[in-house]
Amino acid sequence: MISLIVNKKKYEVDVSPDTPLLWVIRENLGLTGTKYGCGMAQCGACTVHINGEAVRSCVAPVSRAVGQEVTTIEGLSPDLSHPLQRAWIAEDVPQCGYCQSGQIMAAAVLLREKPRPTDEDIDRAMAGNLCRCGTYPRIRKAIHRAARMMAKGGVK
Amino acid sequence: MINVSRRQFLKTSATAAGGLLLGFHLPFISDPVQAGTSPVITFVPNAWLRIGSDETVTVIASQAEMGQGVYTGMTMIIGDELGADWSHVKVENAPNAPAYRNPRINWQFTGNAESTRSFYLPLRKAGAAAREMLIAAAAKQWSVDPSTCRAYKGVILHSPTGRRMSFGAVVSEAAKLKPPDNPPLKDRKEFLLIGKPLPRLDTPSKTNGSAIFGIDVSVPGMVHAAIQQVPEFGATFAPFGRESAEHQPGVIGVVPLEGAVAVVAESYWLARRALDNLGLSVEPGPNKSLSTAQIVEAHRQAMGGERAVKVTQIGDAKALIAKATEKIEAVYESPFQAHATMEPMNCVAHVTADRCEVWAPTQGQELAQIVVASITKLPPEKIRINRTFLGGGFGRRLLADFVAQAVLISKAVGRPVKLIWSREEDMQHDFYRPTVLNRLVAAVNDKGFPVALQQRVVSASQLHHVAPQAVKDGLDPICLEGAGEIPYALPNLFVDFTLMQIPVPTSVWRSTGYGPNVFALESFIDELARRGRRDPYEYRRVLLAGNKRALRVLDLVAEKSGWGHSPDGNRFRGIAFAHCYGAFIGQVVEISVSSNKEIKVHRVVAALDCGQAVHPDGIRAQMESGVTWGLTAGVKSEIIFENGKVAQNNFHDFEVLRIPEMPRVETHIVESHEAPGGMGEVGAVPLIPALVNAVFAATGRRLRSLPLHRHGFSLV
Repeated sequence: MISLIVNKKKYEVDVSPDTPLLWVIRENLGLTGTKYGCGMAQCGACTVHINGEAVRSCVAPVSRAVGQEVTTIEGLSPDLSHPLQRAWIAEDVPQCGYCQSGQIMAAAVLLREKPRPTDEDIDRAMAGNLCRCGTYPRIRKAIHRAARMMAKGGVK
Repeated sequence: MINVSRRQFLKTSATAAGGLLLGFHLPFISDPVQAGTSPVITFVPNAWLRIGSDETVTVIASQAEMGQGVYTGMTMIIGDELGADWSHVKVENAPNAPAYRNPRINWQFTGNAESTRSFYLPLRKAGAAAREMLIAAAAKQWSVDPSTCRAYKGVILHSPTGRRMSFGAVVSEAAKLKPPDNPPLKDRKEFLLIGKPLPRLDTPSKTNGSAIFGIDVSVPGMVHAAIQQVPEFGATFAPFGRESAEHQPGVIGVVPLEGAVAVVAESYWLARRALDNLGLSVEPGPNKSLSTAQIVEAHRQAMGGERAVKVTQIGDAKALIAKATEKIEAVYESPFQAHATMEPMNCVAHVTADRCEVWAPTQGQELAQIVVASITKLPPEKIRINRTFLGGGFGRRLLADFVAQAVLISKAVGRPVKLIWSREEDMQHDFYRPTVLNRLVAAVNDKGFPVALQQRVVSASQLHHVAPQAVKDGLDPICLEGAGEIPYALPNLFVDFTLMQIPVPTSVWRSTGYGPNVFALESFIDELARRGRRDPYEYRRVLLAGNKRALRVLDLVAEKSGWGHSPDGNRFRGIAFAHCYGAFIGQVVEISVSSNKEIKVHRVVAALDCGQAVHPDGIRAQMESGVTWGLTAGVKSEIIFENGKVAQNNFHDFEVLRIPEMPRVETHIVESHEAPGGMGEVGAVPLIPALVNAVFAATGRRLRSLPLHRHGFSLV
């Protein structure tokens, strides 16, 4: 049995320790917002946080998460109230939406490290998250919008 | 042992889609009222709408939401005629059923940028019919003339007396009425939703992980399957031992299919690991030395050959070109491309003795149903194809190969199964956009304008796997989009086509025939303009003479891009124009190019007349999407065949655009009240020639084959 804390909730799962965290989150915990895209850390669709750091869960063995705080898109806020989610909605960012959980989780780490990022900061931080639909211009706008909201309301 | 698979699917789909007119009837849409379980009374005026006594208006979307915004667009159209309150509107996926067929071809599918074009009027009529019934029900209760009532934001109003009644209050009475055959449609001046800046209905669920894609479906008792298909086209796997895999913990079974092996287990990862451990090896087949170079060489020979079939003839281009003292000729090449949807192919299927239920991210519910019927021998009413959100479609998900596999595997193990392809499988077993060769030859007058144009297109089929019956007499209508029917007035035009047979599966891919053909034509027009020392924008203006909608778009893109003024510093511009999917579009791409061939795309300015704009912000999003698609295919991505298989595996060797490479996109929509055009593919069409024309402006190099990566260029 492996013990996990995901979105502040405790879970016990019966999986081999080398199972990628992605599949444990999706299948054992039923949190399907985190997506499989490439299986080799090329696309970022599987991005989650371990202790606040962005991790590609498709290549991270579940053993790496033991005893750590894992956050998935479902744990970002209970009610779409995170500034990034509000900004994503205001800019109508998603198209097909498949990559968006990963985009938002990557953006959350960026904003913690750089509360007022430039376009260049955004490009650098988000370059590992692919979007085949081309929501990139709106991702830039939404991150700037979220940064403004957080500056006004204080960092949550 | 099951012996049907992808190849079987290919055969099946070809026959099945040949029977487009088979009339299937499914009962799934009839009665959502759950008497006794819910106090909500529901009025179902037609297949598109349910209106509840709780004021909820549910629109049933026939079309797949794959990012193009069709849920929102369809709901705006039907909701506007209905007079719905937008805050009470919900949208839901339609099942497979004849009512949801595209009326133009009597077939249920989502593609070809056709949803808005084909459903605009039917949806308006459906909304208007429901509105008239609600009004009639209210008027009856008030004993007034229905013509003195109107529907407005979820309420029926009787203006003379100021009385009002909500939709919910009249649903039970409305349900007793007969739907009108020809309900009056609103004047466009009365539109409250169409053309307005409304938020997409699916956005909230796509920002908290709650949107359900095919890969997210879970049903009771479900097990998981991983699959490996023979990488070499036409080859087989060597015999292999199944026992070691079947004895691994969690593994339920090994299911050999034709040309593939699936492993079923309690979890996806256990299935995947057991599959990898099978150590499958390939027994080479007839295509073991097949390469892209070979295929392209065969296309080149066909270009010079005698097999071509005539497509268009206006005047006598051939004779004029034959006797012209000077003729200009160029050959353009577009490569094979993969769809590479972010969500890999997947499907959940549950087959029992008397029923089959499928949950799939599909653009082709009707084809899926027919394929399932051919495998299970079940009658159509026992087959349900549930559609989820699609994590990208781009044409790939019109096909049902992955559905067939999931059904076969479920049948073999007797349980509901979720099949997920790895990214590598997805990349290597696509139905690729075929390589396309285009030769253009022109005779020009002393002012540098073409008096005759001859075009030859050489390509494998794009339509065969989607609608085989439409490929006949050596012609594939999708391959010919943008060839023959061109926006320019030319007195002498001759177009012909050679359909190639190649041993790799090919199909439609976002931008379809327009992509390669407009790349060729708009590059060639640019070449002719430059050769005649004319401005490429002014040159096109002359050729578009008399085409008011086209000229307006071309002039607008020139104006908004500042075409008449030199761009700043080291920047250069290229322009291209297209009439495609019922829309007119012009784009100007502004770039700079470094000495080591790094292209920075600073901005893309687009002007567009797509007829009545239903959802302008959705149109802007699709333009941004098209620019992304075009930049990827124009510079970065390409599928290459080597040793009988695809050389690319994943996103490290099939590169798609990343955020630092994304330019600013400025979209200008012409106000138009013509019939709506399609937007899902338009933005990608002129982007590549506009870019290539800009590269010429910047470097003096005319690049006639794609992607530009081949010529050492990259995006920064």
